[in-house]
Amino acid sequence: MSTLPKKNALGFYEIRLESIGGLGANLAGKMLAETGAIELGFNASNFSSYGSEKKGTPIKTFVRFCDPEVEIRDHSPIEEPHLVAVFHEALYKTVNVVSGLQPDGVVLVNTSRGFDEVRADLKLEYGTVALVDAMGIAVEEQTKVNTSMLGAMFRICDFLDPEAMRKVIRRTFEKKYPHLVEPNIRTFDRGYNEVKFKTYEVPAGTQAVPFKRAQSLLGYETQVPGGVILAQGNSIQKDLSGSRSGVLPVLDVDSCISCAACDNVCPDNCFVWEEGEDKRGRPQQILLGIDYHYCKGCLKCIEVCPTEALTSIREEVGFAEEHRVPQVFK
Amino acid sequence: MAVSEDAQTEIIVAEQVTHFESGNEMAATAAAQINYHIMGYFPITPSTEVAQYLDQMKANGLHDIQLIAADGEHGSAGICYGAAMAGARVINATSSQGFLYMLEQLPTQSGTRFPMVLNLVTRAVSGPLDIRGDHSDLYYGLNTGWVILTASTPQAVYDMNIMALKIAEHSEVRLPVIVAYDGFFTSHQKRKVQYFKENEVVQNFVGPNPNPNYPNVSDPAHPVTIGAHMGGDDLLNNHYQLSVALEKAGEVYAEVAREYAALSGREHKVLDLYRMDDAEVAVFLLNSAGESAKDTVDALRAKGIRAGLVRPNLIRPFPAEQLRQALKNVKALLVGERADSYGAQGGNLTHEIRSALQVDPDNKTIILSRIFGLGGKDFYADDAEAFFQLAMDAAAKGYAEKPFDYHGYYPGDAKDALVPVMEPLHGDAYKSGLIEVTPSEDTGLLKVKLPPLRQLTAKPHRLAPGHGACPGCGALSALELFFKGIEGDMVVLFQTGCAYVVTASYPYSSHNQTFVHNLFQNGAATLAGMVDAFYELKRRGEVQISDDITFVMVSGDGGMDIGMGATVGAALRNHKMIILEYDNEGYMNTGSQLSYSTPMGHMTSTSGVGKAQKGKKGHHKDTAQILAACNIPYVFTGAESNPQDLLQKAAKAQWYANNVGTAYGKLLCACPLNWKTSDHSGYDLVKAAVDSCFFPLYEIEQGITSITYNPELKGKRIPAVEWLKGMGKTKHLLKDEELLQNFEAEIERRWSRLKLKNESSLL
Repeated sequence: MSTLPKKNALGFYEIRLESIGGLGANLAGKMLAETGAIELGFNASNFSSYGSEKKGTPIKTFVRFCDPEVEIRDHSPIEEPHLVAVFHEALYKTVNVVSGLQPDGVVLVNTSRGFDEVRADLKLEYGTVALVDAMGIAVEEQTKVNTSMLGAMFRICDFLDPEAMRKVIRRTFEKKYPHLVEPNIRTFDRGYNEVKFKTYEVPAGTQAVPFKRAQSLLGYETQVPGGVILAQGNSIQKDLSGSRSGVLPVLDVDSCISCAACDNVCPDNCFVWEEGEDKRGRPQQILLGIDYHYCKGCLKCIEVCPTEALTSIREEVGFAEEHRVPQVFK
Repeated sequence: MAVSEDAQTEIIVAEQVTHFESGNEMAATAAAQINYHIMGYFPITPSTEVAQYLDQMKANGLHDIQLIAADGEHGSAGICYGAAMAGARVINATSSQGFLYMLEQLPTQSGTRFPMVLNLVTRAVSGPLDIRGDHSDLYYGLNTGWVILTASTPQAVYDMNIMALKIAEHSEVRLPVIVAYDGFFTSHQKRKVQYFKENEVVQNFVGPNPNPNYPNVSDPAHPVTIGAHMGGDDLLNNHYQLSVALEKAGEVYAEVAREYAALSGREHKVLDLYRMDDAEVAVFLLNSAGESAKDTVDALRAKGIRAGLVRPNLIRPFPAEQLRQALKNVKALLVGERADSYGAQGGNLTHEIRSALQVDPDNKTIILSRIFGLGGKDFYADDAEAFFQLAMDAAAKGYAEKPFDYHGYYPGDAKDALVPVMEPLHGDAYKSGLIEVTPSEDTGLLKVKLPPLRQLTAKPHRLAPGHGACPGCGALSALELFFKGIEGDMVVLFQTGCAYVVTASYPYSSHNQTFVHNLFQNGAATLAGMVDAFYELKRRGEVQISDDITFVMVSGDGGMDIGMGATVGAALRNHKMIILEYDNEGYMNTGSQLSYSTPMGHMTSTSGVGKAQKGKKGHHKDTAQILAACNIPYVFTGAESNPQDLLQKAAKAQWYANNVGTAYGKLLCACPLNWKTSDHSGYDLVKAAVDSCFFPLYEIEQGITSITYNPELKGKRIPAVEWLKGMGKTKHLLKDEELLQNFEAEIERRWSRLKLKNESSLL
C-alpha cells in the first residue's frame, strides 16, 4: 500500500475535474476514485457538481483520497485541490478552472498546444503544468477522451498503481465489448506515457493567492421578490462557445441561397440575417453568417443545407472569434 | 484529520462485501436484496436513480420487484397503498414536489395502518424551483404519522432500509416508514460501503412477510372493509392508537438497531452523540451536515473547547428523552435547520427540542436556531465554526443575543442588480403580416397563406439564444419554428421539463416575451386561470390590450403524463389557449426515464434491456387522440422535418385559440443525448419517424381529420427499421424479430385507422 504524497488538514489528497457534460469526466472521476478505493485500499469519495446541467454545460467532478483509517465526513466541493484536470480547453474562457489550486499543485490540460500558451491562458503564476493531447489520442485510437485523461492522471497520482486501472478497464469492457479492451488499454497507456510536465517556480516571497469562494451576484436587497426576472432575454449575455466539443459549422456565403433550412432547425438561434434585395431588386432576407457565441457545434444545419454552403471544420483557437457574425438584438 | 474511533469491535456475523457506491445505489441494493413485491414510482430528481438502479438490476434478472411507472407521485402513492393493502411488501422513493404531491396519501396509509418503506431523498420544495438538497420536503412529513429515520451516509441508507422494513412490520408498530437522506450529498456521493454478500442474510433479518397475518384484501375467505369513514369519537380513538404505535416505534427502533449491529457491526443509535460526554456547547444537525460538522468538533476540541455534536437517526418518534439526557449539561445548543417554519422563529426541530427540554425543570440549555444550506447551498467547515461560535457566545453571555436567524444570506451590491439588456419587443414587432388565416366560406375550415420561410427570418425570435439546451436539441428548434407561425404577442407557460430548465435558469431568462413556469402536473390549469383572468380584466376595461395575445402552454411528454388530468380538464372547459407538447419520448430532463409516450421496446433508464427485459413494455400513448376525444376545435401533430406544414398548423392553432377555444398540438422532437445518436441527426430521425408513419402528420379541425402529409402518396414511406437503426436506444430491436413485428403492426394499425378517419368526416 502506497502513501499519499500530500494531504490537507483533514488528511485528503484532493482532485477536481473540470469538464463539460458529455466528455465523460464524471465516469473518469468515478473510475479513478473506485480504483483507489477498491483496488488500492485508500478511502475515497467521489461526486459531481449537480444542477440542471445538460450536455455541453460546465461541470465539476471531485475526488478525495485519504488513508483507509480516515473517515470522510466532508461533503463540500473541493476548493483547494492538489490536482486539477481540465478536460476541455475552451472552458477556461468562462470558468476559472485553476481556482484555489494548491501552490505545489498540478494542473493537467487536454491540449495540443504548448506550455507557455496554456499557462498564459490559465493566468497561472506558478505550479506545475501537465499537458496531454487526450483528444488526439482518443481520435487515433477511436476511444474516448476520458480514458487518455485517466492515463495522465494516474501518472500524476503516482501513489496509484496503473495496473489496477488496467484491470478495471478490462473488467468494464471484456464482457460486453471485448474488442474495446485493447484500444482502451492503449489509450490509457498513451495518456500515461505522453503527458509532459513543466514546473513554473514560485518566485521568492510570493504569497499564495488566498482562495475566495464565489457567490451569486444577487442578494436579498437586489433580487426582485419572488425570483421574478425583469430582464427578458438576458441569456444573450452568455457565451456558449465552451459547449462545442471540437467542431463547428462554417458558412460560405457565395454558395448560400438563403433558403432558411438551417435557421429552421437551429436550436440556438445562431443564424444572422439582414434585409437585402434579391436579383430583381425586391426586398429579401439574406443570410449573413453565424454567431459563434451561441453555436454549440451540433452541426444539424449542415445536414439540412441543400447546397454546399455549410460545412464543418475542426475548431482551432481563435477561429470563432475571427469569423463570428454577431446577432443584432433590437 | 478524522480517524474513526473504532466502533466496529463487535464480532461480525455475516459476510459483507465492500463496494464504492452512492446512497441511491445502496437504497436500491437493499430493496433488491429484500426483494420487495412492488415499487410504484415516478421520476423526480434526486431520488430517480433508485428506480433506475432497480430497473437495471431487474433487466439482469437480479430481483423480482414489480416496478410500476406511475402517472405522477399521487399515482405512485396510490399504487403503493393498494399494494400494501394486498399484503405485499412495498418500496418507493421520491423527493421534493413528488413528496408533496403524494402527501395526501400518506396519513391515509398510516391511519389505516399499512406498513411500507419510502425513501425520501430530501430536496428543496418549490418555489422558486431548486433541484438540490434541503429538508423542506421532509418537514412536511413530520405530521403524517409515518416513522422517520434519517440516514446520514450511503452506508446508513443501506442499513436503515433494511431496519426500516423490520420496524414497519413490527407487530406493535404496523406503520409505514420513511428513510430520509440528503439529496446529492448522500444520494449521489460515492463512498466506500459494505453490504451483505448473501441476500438471504438480509431476508432472514427482516423475516418472512407478516402482512398476510393482518387485514388484507388478498384473502376472499376473510373479507375486510378498509377505509370506512368515522366520526370524531372514533377518529380520536384511531389516532390515539396511531400515536401509541408511533411512540412504540422508538423502542422498536432501538431494538432493531441493536440486532442489526450484531449482524453487521454497525449500530445506528437513536442519537449519534459525537464528543458530547462533557460538551458545553453543541450543534444539532440532521444528516450529511451532521457528519461534516464532526470535523469542526475535532478542530475545536484540539483548541480545548468542549464542543460536541448531536445528530439524530430517528426524528419520528421524536427522541425527546434521549435529547434531555444528552443536553443536560450543555450550556448552549445551536439547532441548524435546512428548512424554515416561516414565521415561527425557528424551524420545526428547534421547537421540538425546546419543548423536549422544557419538560426538564433543571435544564438551562440556551437554544439558538439558524436556517442554513437551503436549496443545496453547501455547508462548509467555516459554517460549522460560525454555528459553534454563536453557541459559545451565548454560553459566555448566558443568553442568546439573536435566538433565531438565517445563516449565509447577503444583501448583494446594487451595481449587480439585473438590468434589461434590450428594449422588449411586442405587438406589431411580432406581426410579419405575411401569414394569412381565413375561414373558408363553405366549410368553415381555415385556410392559411404562408410566405417562403426565408421571409419569416425577419421576425424577431421568441426565444433568446444563450439557453442551456444540449447541442442539437430538437425541442428548442421545433418550439422556435412553431412560434414563427404565431403573429403578435404571446404569453407562454412552460411546465417543468427540459425546455423550462434550460431557458429559465436564474438569473437568466431566454424568453423575449412573458414567460411563467408552473409544476408539471398543473400547467394547463394555471394557464386556464391566466387566460380567463386576462379576458375578464379586459371585459371590465381594466386592461387595454389588443385581442390577439396568444396564450401557449408548453409541456414535454412527461408533463403530459403527470399533467394529463389538468390538460383534459382545460380542454373540456375549452379555454382559449394552445397546449403544445414537445414529445421526445421520455423524461429527458431527469435522465431519460420512460414516459407513456416512449414507444414499445425503446430503451430508457427505467426500461432497460437485458436478459430479463426488453425495453419499454406497451405501446406509446396516443395523446393527440385523447385530446381529440375532448372535442376541442383543433388538434394537430407536427415536426420540424416538415416546416411549412408545422407553421400552417401554428397559424391555425393561434386562430382557434384566439377565437374559439383550446388547440392542442404534439411535436415529435429528437433528443440526441437520450435517443443515443449524434448531435446532428435529430432532423433526419424525426423525418424518418414521420416517413415510416410512426408519427403521421395530421390535424383534426372541428372534428374532421385530415392527413396533412402522406408519405405513401408521395412515394416516401419507409419501414420503421429505417428510423430505429439510427438510434442507440433501439439497436436491440433490430435483432428481435418478434418485438419489431409487434411494433410495426401497431404503427400500421394506427396509420390504417387514421387513413379511414381521413376519408370520412364522421370518424
